[in-house]
Amino acid sequence: MSPNRDPNRSALIDTALRVWIILCFVFVFAPIAASFVFSFNSDRFPTIPLGHFTTDWYRLVVADPLVWSGLWNTLKVAGAVGVLATVLGFGAAYTDHRHDFFGKQAYLALALLPPTIPAVILGLAMLAYLSRLTLSGSAVSVIIAHVVICAPFAMALIRLRLSQMDAALEPAAWNLGATEWGAMRHVILPFCAPAILAALFITMAVSSDEFAVAWFVSGLNETLPVKVLGFLQGQVSPRINVIGSFVFVVSIGLVIAAQLLMAGRGARPYEE
Amino acid sequence: MRNRPTAYGLTFALPLLVWQVVFFVLPLAFLVALSFFTVRNFRVLPDLNPGNWGVILWRQVFWQAYGVTWLLSATGSLIASVLAFPCAFGIALKLSANSRRWAVFLMVIPFFTSYLVRAYAWQVFLSDTGIINGLLAWTGLGPYALLNTPGAILVGYLTLSLPLVILLQVFSLTYVDRSLIEAAHNLRAGRLRTVFEVIIPSARVGLVIAALFAFILCFGDFVSPVYLGGGHPTTLSILITDTTKSGQQWPRAAVIALMMIGTLLATAFAAVHFAYRGARR
Amino acid sequence: MTDTRFHLARRRLLQGAASLVLAAPMLNRAWAQEATTLNMLAWYGHAEPDVVAEFEAANNVKFVPKYYSGGDNMVGLISQSPPGTYDLILSDAEYVQGLNEAGYIEELTPEDYNFADYFPEFQKFPGNWKDGKLFSVVTRFGFLGVAYNTEALTEKEVDTYAVYWSDKIKGKVGHYDWHLPNLGQISLLNGNASPYDIDAAAWTSVMDKARSLRPQIGGFFDYGGTFSSLKDGQMLAMAGIGDWITGVLQKNGAKVASHIPQEGGLQWSECFCIGKGSPKADLAKKWIQYITSAKGQVKSAEMAAYPALIPNRKGWDLLGQVDPAEAKRQGMTKDAGNAMDLIRSGRIKFRQWPVQQDLGTWNDFWSDYKGA
Repeated sequence: MSPNRDPNRSALIDTALRVWIILCFVFVFAPIAASFVFSFNSDRFPTIPLGHFTTDWYRLVVADPLVWSGLWNTLKVAGAVGVLATVLGFGAAYTDHRHDFFGKQAYLALALLPPTIPAVILGLAMLAYLSRLTLSGSAVSVIIAHVVICAPFAMALIRLRLSQMDAALEPAAWNLGATEWGAMRHVILPFCAPAILAALFITMAVSSDEFAVAWFVSGLNETLPVKVLGFLQGQVSPRINVIGSFVFVVSIGLVIAAQLLMAGRGARPYEE
Repeated sequence: MRNRPTAYGLTFALPLLVWQVVFFVLPLAFLVALSFFTVRNFRVLPDLNPGNWGVILWRQVFWQAYGVTWLLSATGSLIASVLAFPCAFGIALKLSANSRRWAVFLMVIPFFTSYLVRAYAWQVFLSDTGIINGLLAWTGLGPYALLNTPGAILVGYLTLSLPLVILLQVFSLTYVDRSLIEAAHNLRAGRLRTVFEVIIPSARVGLVIAALFAFILCFGDFVSPVYLGGGHPTTLSILITDTTKSGQQWPRAAVIALMMIGTLLATAFAAVHFAYRGARR
Repeated sequence: MTDTRFHLARRRLLQGAASLVLAAPMLNRAWAQEATTLNMLAWYGHAEPDVVAEFEAANNVKFVPKYYSGGDNMVGLISQSPPGTYDLILSDAEYVQGLNEAGYIEELTPEDYNFADYFPEFQKFPGNWKDGKLFSVVTRFGFLGVAYNTEALTEKEVDTYAVYWSDKIKGKVGHYDWHLPNLGQISLLNGNASPYDIDAAAWTSVMDKARSLRPQIGGFFDYGGTFSSLKDGQMLAMAGIGDWITGVLQKNGAKVASHIPQEGGLQWSECFCIGKGSPKADLAKKWIQYITSAKGQVKSAEMAAYPALIPNRKGWDLLGQVDPAEAKRQGMTKDAGNAMDLIRSGRIKFRQWPVQQDLGTWNDFWSDYKGA
């Protein structure tokens, strides 16, 4: 994409657009930056002017066994959700890619609809339903609910990757004598590997930040974002910012990993 | 390709289907049943009581909250779309490929950052003694009441939806056929005319879907109305929580929830219909 | 929890080493396996280390809290969980009878608890007993009045609930978002001797009075929201709360206070119950015995999350010895005009369910009021 010397290009407009882009980023990152700053601020309530620099809130968070158990729950849940949602999402994406069948529209709607239902409603429905199955109040119920929400994300990512694949590749493998399972193992899965890993990370990230549904169904096994909600509703405490910053760093790690994997091997044929 | 279901094909197709039916469709169906249950002495008892629907649908405060929520979410989604467009336009059409990748990457970050924490952080900017009023005071203005207003709710809605809207717009603008733009330029169409008559129509589906997602996110959000709006005006998400406070009125809360789902589905269908009808023209 | 320098310094000493150990998950888990867990459903702060650490260490117990925000929230959690999920339930007094009727809590043996140390008013506390049977034990209480910013209003101005209507604080009056304490205060202002036991006419005039307040209101806040909006001056007066919020803020240096105006104040009360079917009822009983003892009561009064009055006479004595400043601040001294004198003078009414109206009626009105 060479800079084209177009008479229609105006330096003024280009600059204005760049300034606007920067302003949008400022808006989006202002609260994130603020919460970072306040996580190191001595005052319990975030007000201006700032107090002095302190790491006390970090120390309190580290010393709180409930935060650790919340973190443990979050990791446990996120890990299980990542694997399950990615497996289910892969299956659905592959089905959409490979097959045309009666009711496919309904199938796809079902596969993609859950993230559009507001979390408050989904949480309410899940709690009422799962408690009838005596599944509520456990890490399992959080996993169940999060897979429902996350599988569509995994499906969308993997579907995108499959659409970049040469449609003749799989039949070619069959022609060379590979079974369907063989082609899956030696052609499809390797090709999708970066998207599968990306889906794994992104579903884990979504799960580790979801609080509304998790609050309803988690019972005593609260995840970290549910604890943050508790801190916000109960004792307002800079520990919100500490945990927020921590979750931020972890999510960023996962996203960067996903990005590198997508860009590393996967995106090359596409980027050309 | 082939239509006959095989064990191989079903292995991939069925797990998601089963999961979503058991853990998504059935809970929603249960919500429908719950809306007919009766509450007695803090206990929710199975019943076929249509009274809950009557109570909610005949209450003025429900329709008021309904109107407020719809209006706020629509405004939020409109503002997000309008603010996002020049940004997405710049990212998609003006930046180099490398800068664009970075811009997109940066926009993904807030999507995975705790929304609760971000909304809470806005309080410091918006309060009477907060950062914005502090800056204004230097210039001799203010203080203005910013927190606990509908405007603050919109700020929260933007926090929630703007990154997503920008990303979706970037993706749809990236796929606009550049030869169309050049053709318009060659025909001496003005810049604005090119944008409105060539670029927006060809990216229409993406733009509408982005606005729809913003609407969906805002419509169900309870964090912004509570923590930035100060709990007023009452939105449907607040009304749901309030309803449960008269001795476990989950059935009535379910009625409100079902009305919300109905509204979202109708809005989604209308938006998708609008998007594709426009695209075909 | 509290961030007074003193507390932090003390905590740092106590927990500096402990945090290192806790940071190593393997060690942490090995330690946790030995301890019995006790599940507590409570308002925020009741199972934090400043309250439970001593009991945990002495009995090799580990509390697992689920914090709720509001009684309905609490009942919802209990009803959607299998019986026996929560060993201990901390409930506001008005909800105890509901929990009892729904069969969510165990009957208690009165002899297990040292009521003799309690002030007489709390020995047969109405919310605790039903048909002569004991179902919960009151452990803390507090008064609700006018919470205000001391730089904006004087104690004289806030000596009446009518201050909420003052032009000076238009748009700066907040509500704690629950109908019961707010409408109760308006009922007191209307001169109802029993603010919750009012006939149709009185209820209508409470509603009218409330509606006239609506233009003054700057927001409706949850527990956390009341804290921040009072602290940063966003709200200059707050209806429906009391020292349980402003006491914490005072410790953080905020210029706020609570005052019981001439019309009188309301009383909230927190009671411990044992969850129906709890497999650890004995341990739960032991906890209630501990928290109602003088030592436990002092911890209750000084709880970092939010302070409260305590019903145990010996608790008052002990508090006077270990933290006379706090005893004085909360009015738990032998001086005239102390917290018990306030109750005995008849100026304090229990917060309770509406007697002549349905709970739903009050709640529906509150929704309408908020939406107005």
